[in-house]
Amino acid sequence: MIGMDSCRGRRIALAILLLAGFTAVLGRLVHLQVLQAAELSVKADRQHQKAVTVEGNRGSIYDRRGKVLAMNMEVPSVFGVPASLDNPSGVARDLARVLHVRADEIEKKLRQERSFVWIARKVDPEQGRRLERLSLDGIGTVMEGRRFYPKGPLLSHVLGFAGMDGQGLEGIERRYDPYLRGEKRQIVLQRDAFGRTVFPKGLTEQGPSAGHSVLLTIDEVIQYIAEKELDDAVSATRAKGGVVIVMEPKTGAVLAMAMTPRFDPNSVRGLSADRWRNRVVTDAFEPGSTMKIFLAAAALDERAMKPDSMIYAENGKMVVAGTVIHDHEKAKWITFAQAIQRSSNVAAAKTAMVLGEDRLFRYLKAFGFGERTEIDLPGEAAGLVKEPHEWGRRTLASIAMGQEIGVTALQLATAVSAVANGGWLMRPYVVSEVRDGHGQLVAQVAPQVRRRPIAAETAQVLGTMLEGVVTVGTGSKAAVAGYRVAGKTGTAQKIDPETGAYSSALSVASFVGYVPADDPRLTIVAIIDEPQGEAWGGTVAAPVFRRVAEQALPYLGVSSQEPMKLALAERAGIGMVP
Amino acid sequence: MRLLAALGVIGMLLLFVWERVDIVRVGYRIEQLKVQKIELQREQDGLRVKVSALTAPDRIAKAATEKLGMIPPQPGQVVMVNAADSGPVASDRSSAVHVAKNERFWRKP
Repeated sequence: MIGMDSCRGRRIALAILLLAGFTAVLGRLVHLQVLQAAELSVKADRQHQKAVTVEGNRGSIYDRRGKVLAMNMEVPSVFGVPASLDNPSGVARDLARVLHVRADEIEKKLRQERSFVWIARKVDPEQGRRLERLSLDGIGTVMEGRRFYPKGPLLSHVLGFAGMDGQGLEGIERRYDPYLRGEKRQIVLQRDAFGRTVFPKGLTEQGPSAGHSVLLTIDEVIQYIAEKELDDAVSATRAKGGVVIVMEPKTGAVLAMAMTPRFDPNSVRGLSADRWRNRVVTDAFEPGSTMKIFLAAAALDERAMKPDSMIYAENGKMVVAGTVIHDHEKAKWITFAQAIQRSSNVAAAKTAMVLGEDRLFRYLKAFGFGERTEIDLPGEAAGLVKEPHEWGRRTLASIAMGQEIGVTALQLATAVSAVANGGWLMRPYVVSEVRDGHGQLVAQVAPQVRRRPIAAETAQVLGTMLEGVVTVGTGSKAAVAGYRVAGKTGTAQKIDPETGAYSSALSVASFVGYVPADDPRLTIVAIIDEPQGEAWGGTVAAPVFRRVAEQALPYLGVSSQEPMKLALAERAGIGMVP
Repeated sequence: MRLLAALGVIGMLLLFVWERVDIVRVGYRIEQLKVQKIELQREQDGLRVKVSALTAPDRIAKAATEKLGMIPPQPGQVVMVNAADSGPVASDRSSAVHVAKNERFWRKP
């Protein structure tokens, strides 16, 4: 009996023990799962989840035909963890061989008392692969978006460039940065015990949207033609630099904006701001005789002059406010049309005097001088047109010759386009469309009329006079075989910075015009800064206009205006039906 | 009956465990495919940059003139024949046919 009792007692004791154990486990379970549930859940999430900020790819920039001009590509950036390095100098030497950076500079970074240091950001993919093969302890790579400009220096001043962190710093990159920038979004990733990413929390996490793409009005081929012809002219005349603008006069769309010297936006380190400044929009200069176009426009529109109005040209010499105005071609009585064709300064000064200060000023402002064109590029200058009350005794005559007035090359192009298109001053633009990452249209730019400075009849009459500049006047070297050309030469003396007076050696040679004259498709402005030797607009800049036009017109499919005659048909005796 | 119920419970538990394991497995596969997609995207971007650089007009012009001995057509060597009228809209389209002088492609023997 005693044995049975003791056995039962042990069973009861065991049951109590087990019950107590289970109660303890259950209690702990309730404590963890119920009482501390919220707190522990947060803790677990913190350990299993990883929140990372990801930025979508920067949008691309295309020309008007969809050719890539700027795009992003992911490339490796190299970092170091100084605490995990046993031999910083050895690692620095290995890195220096691959990255082509001085070893002592890398070693200095690796000896810093920091948990993380950048060694080189956005290196070439091949350098990244070589580093991976080296597999150095304490050195790693992460992928970052790097901006590539596959065409190199082509259109560099217009495109601008983006900084190391993907922010637009110049040109289109800067002006359209809010569109081009990718969306920044924080996403939460689930990690397993080994730290590997399993999947985004909730399986619904979307990555950040890529930036919008921008489609330009610029045509890559016309841009290349403009740059090539400009480079050739600048090199042949040993000039300081130059500018060529090609614009659609009817819309204000810019087809090419060339400058020299250029820069490669892929490597801007060490370049000064002066090198990447878009001088077409930022720099104002005294235009010289090209300003006579707008003087003539005002005189015709105000009916102060007619093409056959006679002007006495004073045999090429006239004194105004104590200074002598010269013509390069002596003449006595000439028509107003001849005055423009020969670029007579005396006749221009007299025309300005007939018009008077207020009327001339009003037309200059109407053509957009002295105010920004509102082109979609950063840093635009307004130029300088003084108010009539600030004008001196010679100012009227000076402005008639393109002195005492500061204009940008873009203002010239826009104003000449107004003559070409029948009198409408258009807002110039370089971006035609913005599309999102899926190709959906976000914004579209339509041609925009700013105002009408002259009547259509005035533009037509002036156009005929400007054709005369090319057929019988100073701009004969701008003539394009098979097309009617209208335009005007300009040769402006520059102010010598040392003497403060007009220099006889420094000048700006220019030609501005449009083609075909009867149905203008292209406005072309060619400006050569400080050419050496024979530095006339008609000899230096007019040929640039011609060469650009004779390549761009067939490329755009603009028919020649001469009767077609096929050499083969003649030779084969087929002949053409008369 | 009890046996069936027990088997049912065990079956449900196994199904639950299998589902959880499968979610993790699919999660790893998704991540693997995402990495693959990123790598392919990078490769595609690299190729686009390369194509764009290789088709740069200055490179084409250099190759055409220096390697192939081509020269730009001189004025008058290319004439345009418009299929429609020569108005600004019509000429804007690619209706113009480029006809090079001395070319015989439009004549059938």
